[in-house]
Amino acid sequence: MAYKFKRQIFGFMDLLRFKKMVPKREEKLATAPATPLPKTYRVNETAKILHPGNRTAKLVAVEQVTPDTKTYVFETEKPSMFRAGQYVSVRHEIDGSVVSRPYAISSSPFAALKDRKIAVTVKKAGFFSDWMFERAAVGDEFSLGDPSGDFFHDGIRDSRNVVGIAGGSGITPFYSMAQAIAEGSEDFSLTLLYGARTEKDIAFKKQLDSLVGDKFKVVYVLSDEKNPKYEHGFVTAALIGKYAPDDYTVMMCGPQAMYDFAEKELASIGVVGAKRIRKEANCVGTRDVKPAEYALKVHIKDQTFDVKADARETLLTAMERAGLRVPSKCRAGGCGFCHSRLIGGEYTIAGADKRRLADKKFGYIHPCCTYPDSDMEIEVPQG
Amino acid sequence: MDRYDAVVIGAGNGGLVAAIRLLQGGAKVLLVEKHNLPGGFATSFRRGRFEFEASLHELNDFGQKNNGGDVRDLFDSLGVTDKIEWHPIPEAYRLISRKPRIDVTMPFGIQAFIDKMEKEVPGSRKSVERFFQLADETRKAQAYTNSRNGVVDSKIMVREHGNYVRTGSYSVNEVLDSIGMPQRAKDIITAYWCYLGAHCDDLSFSHYASMVIRYISRGAMMPKMRSHEISLALCDRIRELGGDIWFNTEAVKIVTGKDGGVEGVVLAGGREIKTRHVIANCSPHIVYGKMMDSVPEKVVRATNARKFAGRGFTMFLGLNKSADELGIDNHNYFLYDTMDSAAQYELMKKIDTNSVQATVCLNRAYPECSPPGTSMMYFTTLYMSDDWGGISPEDYAKTKEKVANMMIDRFEKDTGAKIRDSIEEISVATPMTYARYCGHPEGGIYGYESQYWDGLNPRLQMMAHDHMTRGLRFAGGFSMRLSGYSSAYFSGDITGRQTVGDIRKEG
Repeated sequence: MAYKFKRQIFGFMDLLRFKKMVPKREEKLATAPATPLPKTYRVNETAKILHPGNRTAKLVAVEQVTPDTKTYVFETEKPSMFRAGQYVSVRHEIDGSVVSRPYAISSSPFAALKDRKIAVTVKKAGFFSDWMFERAAVGDEFSLGDPSGDFFHDGIRDSRNVVGIAGGSGITPFYSMAQAIAEGSEDFSLTLLYGARTEKDIAFKKQLDSLVGDKFKVVYVLSDEKNPKYEHGFVTAALIGKYAPDDYTVMMCGPQAMYDFAEKELASIGVVGAKRIRKEANCVGTRDVKPAEYALKVHIKDQTFDVKADARETLLTAMERAGLRVPSKCRAGGCGFCHSRLIGGEYTIAGADKRRLADKKFGYIHPCCTYPDSDMEIEVPQG
Repeated sequence: MDRYDAVVIGAGNGGLVAAIRLLQGGAKVLLVEKHNLPGGFATSFRRGRFEFEASLHELNDFGQKNNGGDVRDLFDSLGVTDKIEWHPIPEAYRLISRKPRIDVTMPFGIQAFIDKMEKEVPGSRKSVERFFQLADETRKAQAYTNSRNGVVDSKIMVREHGNYVRTGSYSVNEVLDSIGMPQRAKDIITAYWCYLGAHCDDLSFSHYASMVIRYISRGAMMPKMRSHEISLALCDRIRELGGDIWFNTEAVKIVTGKDGGVEGVVLAGGREIKTRHVIANCSPHIVYGKMMDSVPEKVVRATNARKFAGRGFTMFLGLNKSADELGIDNHNYFLYDTMDSAAQYELMKKIDTNSVQATVCLNRAYPECSPPGTSMMYFTTLYMSDDWGGISPEDYAKTKEKVANMMIDRFEKDTGAKIRDSIEEISVATPMTYARYCGHPEGGIYGYESQYWDGLNPRLQMMAHDHMTRGLRFAGGFSMRLSGYSSAYFSGDITGRQTVGDIRKEG
């Protein structure tokens, strides 16, 4: 088609220009500076602080908190940062098994950033925590995972006022939040309703009391002890009404039974839905079925392992028992870090299926929340 | 055991396709990926009852069965098309600009687009028709170039693709001016510029026009299960063809021999894989900057010459009301301050002045993508400088929240929708997130910028020149097709086939 072309465009010179694109680019490439290419970049360095990934950390202090709870303080080589309320996986090799557990961080974000200290508070409740209680010693090296989880205050989604409901060892993330509010790494108001069985089960009482101020209040609620200094019973709608401000978001951390109870109470005063109520997920435990042993074939890269799997335990536990180094993070089915390919076998998922849609379609599972119902074969990324 | 014909580093869009092409060419292939998932940015993530798309706004150039685009043809020949369910995107885009004041929703279909433009800008018809004619010639010329693997007969080019050659060295603005397009029509037709990340004084007309005509003539698609479905389909195909994929496996070093060419790849932990062919689905800055011991000066210079394109920022919202209830009418929004893209580009250099957004409400393409009574949105912008590099870890969360708030305010103000009170889930990805996730320098998501001298045409013509290390080729957003989903897939196609040729030549 015939166009009337202005200037150089669509004329003879345009053909020359086209031909010159290559020599022009060649020249640009050839005449750029020969200075060495950067090894890293500012954003990438900050990213390493925000998302340090798996790193080694030295246990530098152990503190008894309550009769069955201890705080373990780790020192990392490099500074890191997290959001108060997040957890880390603590990993150690125990008798030939590489075992890890996610624990809510009980120290403050700035302690991780400025002092390279990260603390977790552990309740004696099972295999790993028993080992920690009895064997872990100051000076031991551990592996810590990336700070993870969505259980933190979001300034856009959440109200500036948070009513925290903590049950038992569920106090941990709130203790971190209270410290974060005090140091200025978080900016919201927290009214904490903290349920414990008896006075001696209250963790961090002295520390929490000392943090009370304009933006932090704490109310202790004892279920198994009547004591005039504290509220008695459970965290009921009436109790929430007594202490909560007008507008608030609820954040809860504790056992499932507490969630069930609190959600019913909250519903009675019109507080419902995931926008108003944020809950931290609990780890998947064993399931109550008849014991049965299945053969589990595991492919990791170009290696194959035959291990035993107990019908009562998750595939992740079976692999860890066998000493395999496999990925794990939340142990609650949600983070997808253990994302693995199913090759064959029957299985049951604990609780809600939190996989991505396409994972279901193409046959991927999260071993941390999957129980075997037959012999199985899976392909797992290295841990 | 530890020997492969080729190792692909990175299971992003380019790497996945390259691996399939290598396998189809008979090579023994190992694909290593440092993350635990495939796709790079082509993935999804769950928050509460939502599954968010991580990056794909709409897949260009896929088309329908009876009007297939080049991506569909590619997926057909890879053998993955039927592994994925597709949903069409309803309209091209809604463009809202503050100065000049524009609020227009443009349809798919060339005729419909031209008609709508004529209604918006009376007198624009002829120039917009010309635009599409030139774009069509560009597309045909590119098809010819591709069929010849970049080695073209210049007589045929001049004779049969003359207008492509004539416009090929000019920017978008230069060509649109020369065909006499009215300013307002130019403003509307250049709305897609942020998808390519270079302003219209820099951006090559051929590149832009061929993208626009593919969108407008064939529509766009979205996989039902987010881009994670595509990535898993490609993995599925790699395994069907006998390829190995190792996740959580970072390649830390490319071993070179006496000739400077590839001899192997060292993985984190020290294991070495022998191979003479690597396709790197990552940035040459990373490969030459820290994965290779001795890099010739020529390569260092050529790498230093490149300019990083936009660094990404995305906010994902899960809303506890439907799109109808919230007044979100469209799938795809472009919100600009100005349609002077060079001026807009300047504003996008700084955190405080950048409030451009490309925003998607996926429910408008696929209503069932989130539970009934809810909707899902994602808002993306680009930073045209390393401004996030100055943000300290202490200020990080605050800054992230500030930008997210700017995005919500902007969207509500410009569209009239009310979303703030309905946010049930929110997740925000910053340049730091992208830097961590894919390792790209400065958290870039667009590879090397399409500068005036470094646009699509010279890159395609210089594939042989840019192949500077024996056995090492690049795929993905930093390579010859530039960034974007379809471009990354094609880069994998090209690079995979070229490497098959390299392997055959070695015998």
